[in-house]
Amino acid sequence: MTKKENKNITEDVEFGLDSRYSSNKEKQSEATALMEARLERMKNLSKDQIIRAKLMQLRLKMEDYIQHPVYEKHNYFSEFLKIYIDTLYTKRIHFAHDIDITPIRLSQVINNHREPKDEFLKRLMVHSEKVYENICEFQEETWYQLYFHEKLYSIMARKKEWKPKVAKHVKYSK
Amino acid sequence: MFPNYVNICYICSMVITEISTGKKHKVEIVPVENSDFKTLGKDRYFFDWKTEKEYEVFKLQIIGSTEALGLVSMERIPSEWRVHIRLLTVSVENKGKGKKYDGIAGNLMAFTAKIAVRDYAEFACLSLRPKTEIAQHYIEKYNMTPTGLTLSIMVPEILELINSYDHD
Repeated sequence: MTKKENKNITEDVEFGLDSRYSSNKEKQSEATALMEARLERMKNLSKDQIIRAKLMQLRLKMEDYIQHPVYEKHNYFSEFLKIYIDTLYTKRIHFAHDIDITPIRLSQVINNHREPKDEFLKRLMVHSEKVYENICEFQEETWYQLYFHEKLYSIMARKKEWKPKVAKHVKYSK
Repeated sequence: MFPNYVNICYICSMVITEISTGKKHKVEIVPVENSDFKTLGKDRYFFDWKTEKEYEVFKLQIIGSTEALGLVSMERIPSEWRVHIRLLTVSVENKGKGKKYDGIAGNLMAFTAKIAVRDYAEFACLSLRPKTEIAQHYIEKYNMTPTGLTLSIMVPEILELINSYDHD
């Protein structure tokens, strides 16, 4: 291939990639070969590389939730928090120690028996900054956004319960 | 436990560069709606995109605009922890030497890589099957590995691909 031909190809590749397999047979045979090769390569993944991938996944899931919150009865904040801690630590008590809170307080937040205090959220923010520093971009406000999305949902979902009581105390005097 | 979002869209963290000015524009990558397909003609987007309707098709656009600057169709293969790119293109004015914006194809690649990692974490794999003569480009530019006719990228390289197109 001449240099000019090669240059033309490089200019063209980015505008048109047709990556479809020509037949199901080809697709299947490529899939089998690819899986075998991947399993070999995966054997060489270090623990650190696996943790990095899990943390990237967690970040992407949290971003998705913030952009498109799904209002269900799950407590996503504590679910995400559990994944975060369990990815990084073998025992949750070690995380509690690292952010200087009692293991009981952490357990209460994780199990939705207590709301996270502002100080907890701030420490979690700083902890995440340190963890993600050398892994990928991480928006520092992420945990707060998760928490307040859920708070908002919880308030709006229970509007019928609290609104009549609250309304008794509210008037608009011109 | 967590829902799989249909309307995945990564806003703000991705940018393309306007070549004439060097200005960076924030872009979003959003699903192509059924009604969009009639505007995605072969004259501007090089392929018959209607044939991809049964797959996931996304378009890259500058935030505030609805004009597709690039398109990608992909197939998630959960049984193999893999996302396979089927078609990828930039619009005609972004092709070759005189192109208006740089980074469209790379952002689309990084976007599909994000979907793979979001779904499969350490098992994630992004694959494509280019024609033989252009395979080398993808191997060099995106650090992909050939297996037979298929190129793939996995952890840790797939994380590097995502990071290289992630900007605050």
